[in-house]
Amino acid sequence: MRPSAILHRQTRSWHNFAPPLKSLVTSVRTYIYWFPTVFVVSYYFYYLKIVSGRSMQPTLNPDSSLWRDVGLFNRYAIHTKRDYHRGDIVALCSPEDPNRVLVKRIIALAGDRVKTLPPYPDPEIVVPQGQAWIEGDEPFHSDDSNRFGPVPLALIESRLVTVVWPPSRFGNLFRPIQIDKDTSTPHKHSAYRLAMAELDRQRWRNARVTAVPHNSLQ
Amino acid sequence: MSGPSMLPTLAASGEVVIEDRLSLRLNPASLARGDIIVVRSPIDPTAIVCKRVIGLPGDVICVDPTGLKAPSTEHVLIPKGHIWICGDNMAYSRDSREYGPVPVALIRSKLFARIWPLKDRTIFWNSMRVLH
Repeated sequence: MRPSAILHRQTRSWHNFAPPLKSLVTSVRTYIYWFPTVFVVSYYFYYLKIVSGRSMQPTLNPDSSLWRDVGLFNRYAIHTKRDYHRGDIVALCSPEDPNRVLVKRIIALAGDRVKTLPPYPDPEIVVPQGQAWIEGDEPFHSDDSNRFGPVPLALIESRLVTVVWPPSRFGNLFRPIQIDKDTSTPHKHSAYRLAMAELDRQRWRNARVTAVPHNSLQ
Repeated sequence: MSGPSMLPTLAASGEVVIEDRLSLRLNPASLARGDIIVVRSPIDPTAIVCKRVIGLPGDVICVDPTGLKAPSTEHVLIPKGHIWICGDNMAYSRDSREYGPVPVALIRSKLFARIWPLKDRTIFWNSMRVLH
């Protein structure tokens, strides 16, 4: 047969499908095509996660915000590079409930001595090898190491890179304060006072930890 | 597989086993005392260990009846969300007797069968019975 007749027959078979079905099949094929890439990127590299709850206030989910924070989390640093630092906000599986994911801050790593908060029974603890002490920034509403003790590092899944939603809080963790330059009383600006309060909280957290210098993985 | 902590069930090296990752994800309640599981080590985030489940959350475990790693009268109540694991070769195994109960979230998979060496091929059935 002539080649053009064969081609005609092939194109005609598409025309037999109703148009919505054809576009559905095309879009399903696109999803299937991209699914492995998206899966690998979100499982090994970066993914977005909604943070809910009050345990990391005021750093995440402050009461002044109408939205729950959506954060960009980095799995590569934890899964592959095993790069843990004190002060990182991380997502980890809860040791009390394997289906629950907690977002907390690493306060201390293996070997450090930590002054604990109630309800932990001992006033001081040395974090064992391969474990970490995690706490939420809001000590009164936080389900953290002060309740269940040090957690194995293997439970930690990913590290928070930045907040991406709401737009007013984009990158909020690392933004330097903006103060109007021609004010004569910078210490009365609310932005300055908020920043100083954040610094104070950081100092209080660091003061409760006696760190040992780490030259290895942990 | 490597390491002598599960002798005589599993040899120290040179064996190939099949891990079952799906059944614990689909049905986490199917974890039973006596299953051989693969767990990420609580003391080393890069290591994985293969041990047997001895206790489930809520059980009271006698830590070490032989008195080697703990006084033989010491008992532990396993908290919610944790399990107690122990290697079959109790003389040479670092397990919950040393690092305490392990969170369930660290479990990777259950062992299903050994396929190499061929003369020792077996499916690991859980043959634990409760003595009354």
